Amino acid sequence: MGTISLKNISKSFGSTQVLNNLNVDIQDGEFLTLVGPSGCGKSTLLRIIAGLEQQTSGDVLIDNKNVNKIRASERDLAMVFQSYALYPHLTVRRNLETPLRLRDYNAFERLPLIGNFSPNKKSKTESINQLVNKTSETLQISELLDRKPGQLSGGQRQRVALGRAMVREPVAFLMDEPLSNLDAALRVHMRSELSELHNSLKTTFVYVTHDQAEALTMSSRMAVMIDGNLLQLDTPQEVYDNPSSLSVAQFVGSPKINIFNGSSDSSGTVNFLNVNLKRKSSESNSDLHIGIRPEHLEITNDKDENTFGGTVAYRENLGSDIYFHVNIEDNSKKIIVRGLPQFTHQITNGSSVNIKRDSNKALLFNQTGMRIHFNNAMG
Amino acid sequence: MHNSKAHLWFIAPAIILMIIILIFPLFLAGGISFTDYNLGNKTFEWIGLENYDKMFNRKTYVKMIWATATYVIVVVPISVILGLCAAMLLNSLRFGADIYKTIFFLPVMATLLAMAIAWEFTLHPTLGIVNNFLANGCGGAREFIFGFHWLPWVDSEQSWYAVACANNMDFPYWLKQKNTAIWTVCFIGIWQAFGFNMVLYLAGLTGIPRELYQAAEMDGAKSTWEQFKLVTWPMLGPTTLFVVTITTIRTFQVFDTIEILTKGGPSKTTYVMMYAIFEKAIQQNLTSIGAAITVVFIGFILILTFFQRYIIEKRVHY
Repeated sequence: MGTISLKNISKSFGSTQVLNNLNVDIQDGEFLTLVGPSGCGKSTLLRIIAGLEQQTSGDVLIDNKNVNKIRASERDLAMVFQSYALYPHLTVRRNLETPLRLRDYNAFERLPLIGNFSPNKKSKTESINQLVNKTSETLQISELLDRKPGQLSGGQRQRVALGRAMVREPVAFLMDEPLSNLDAALRVHMRSELSELHNSLKTTFVYVTHDQAEALTMSSRMAVMIDGNLLQLDTPQEVYDNPSSLSVAQFVGSPKINIFNGSSDSSGTVNFLNVNLKRKSSESNSDLHIGIRPEHLEITNDKDENTFGGTVAYRENLGSDIYFHVNIEDNSKKIIVRGLPQFTHQITNGSSVNIKRDSNKALLFNQTGMRIHFNNAMG
Repeated sequence: MHNSKAHLWFIAPAIILMIIILIFPLFLAGGISFTDYNLGNKTFEWIGLENYDKMFNRKTYVKMIWATATYVIVVVPISVILGLCAAMLLNSLRFGADIYKTIFFLPVMATLLAMAIAWEFTLHPTLGIVNNFLANGCGGAREFIFGFHWLPWVDSEQSWYAVACANNMDFPYWLKQKNTAIWTVCFIGIWQAFGFNMVLYLAGLTGIPRELYQAAEMDGAKSTWEQFKLVTWPMLGPTTLFVVTITTIRTFQVFDTIEILTKGGPSKTTYVMMYAIFEKAIQQNLTSIGAAITVVFIGFILILTFFQRYIIEKRVHY
């Protein structure tokens, strides 16, 4: 079992409120990502789960047991730190052994030399060795066991830190931005490895990251946190397609979602630039933000009532996709449009273009940033 | 470029200065130590190892080595351990640490000369506050505490305190008594050195990443002792090495306390090397024996440095 429930968790440091009445239920075997911009309190929340930080109010339940009063070392969780926090003076093998030695050996058996006289120590040592060997094989670090952390590369240290967490089969893994110290290529590679690891271990993972791409690719559910508030908790696809608020929409997705200022008239017809949406807003007669993701806009030669014009300010070529940063009429902000290389190779910086939107993809938000729904699914 | 001698011109000033003011005097001292030269003499004789022979056989110099060794062996470990304990205590304080830091660091900042005079007054056999304090406490709680009457095996009639009280306040003369002088000097040495060690350890402690303690906690290191063993002590390795080396060299060099408080006495029990060099070479103009002591002194320091550099260094840097 490995369920974790957070009930009304609040945390403040002095007068600064960093977490605001959070409620999260993490299911057994789930890969839950806490994602948000830096300073949103996600790491604090993770450390509250771990027991390294005490919440100001609220309850933490692990396997339906209240652990508010139980210290970190007794919650049976394992944590991977951003800096890895390996013991630099110990070999990789000893680093992996440490959690087992501290838990399995009793105080007498941990004594140097005379501890070896304890009758049970030998069998315990054997089982520790087996576990260490098994873990190091899984993570492919067997040949590193006799080195010290200082002699390892960033990626290898990362694996050792994972190994130290894995070796004793905890209730859940807590990971605090474990990939952020790796280079870009390795980070992408480790994403898939972590997902595979999660699939094979079937243990609960709670993963903190500021990188929405990591959250989207790895998690079974993601919790988007901004300024100490939990804004949305759902599957990555749902968060991406159906963000609950403007901040979530802007945080998730790269490049960022385009926001247009518009309004709805008395019938609920939404208008922005020179475009009218076919779907009617449920909120009439109000100023709105209309969000459209870059991949739902395209550059077209036709000009009609559903298109608007602009000038390409910058062409960002990623090989598989090209993103055009476009200055549009009467809007100081640039918008971003995705194009496919084969259709847009002739467009350069400074070109005038027409932009067409895919229907049914616009998202509406009111002035306070809350999501507004359309009345009907049509148009 | 290959045949240019320009590089010699660039390094020459440094090399020449180094030879003149660092290396030559050392060899000069080494050379003099094999002669009977005294300052002011016009001639000298080579006498081989006679000076060294004296050092290891004459009572005075054997006492010198004993006094130095006692001082180093007592002061170094105690001041290092006390420094570490104080640093860890201060490190765990939420507020007030700065006040303690200043207080403990005072002996380091103050000139030892002035401090030694203060100690001389404090420890004066009849006028000093220490003995007055003890004398006024006869029969009371002070006698119980400092007479170790609280230890089960100490007979309260026979403890040193009780005996002193019974014998007309015959308390130790501290610096003027053979069996207490060196220990009193050691005490002052510890008092002076530990504040410095504490500051070094405080710096070392701030360098330990907090995440390591948290990792240790997550790994199941519950007691402070376990965390100390797993994180603090190994991470302080380089600091400890530095602290021990510095303290050892400084204790080897102890001079001002001795010069002011005991002048090497009583009966040479506090006759440490640095004071011996001063007395022989400067006060008595016995340059050659002074040089021999200096050479032995440098030998000790070199062995120590070598030990640090090649043996321990490898084990504390990861």
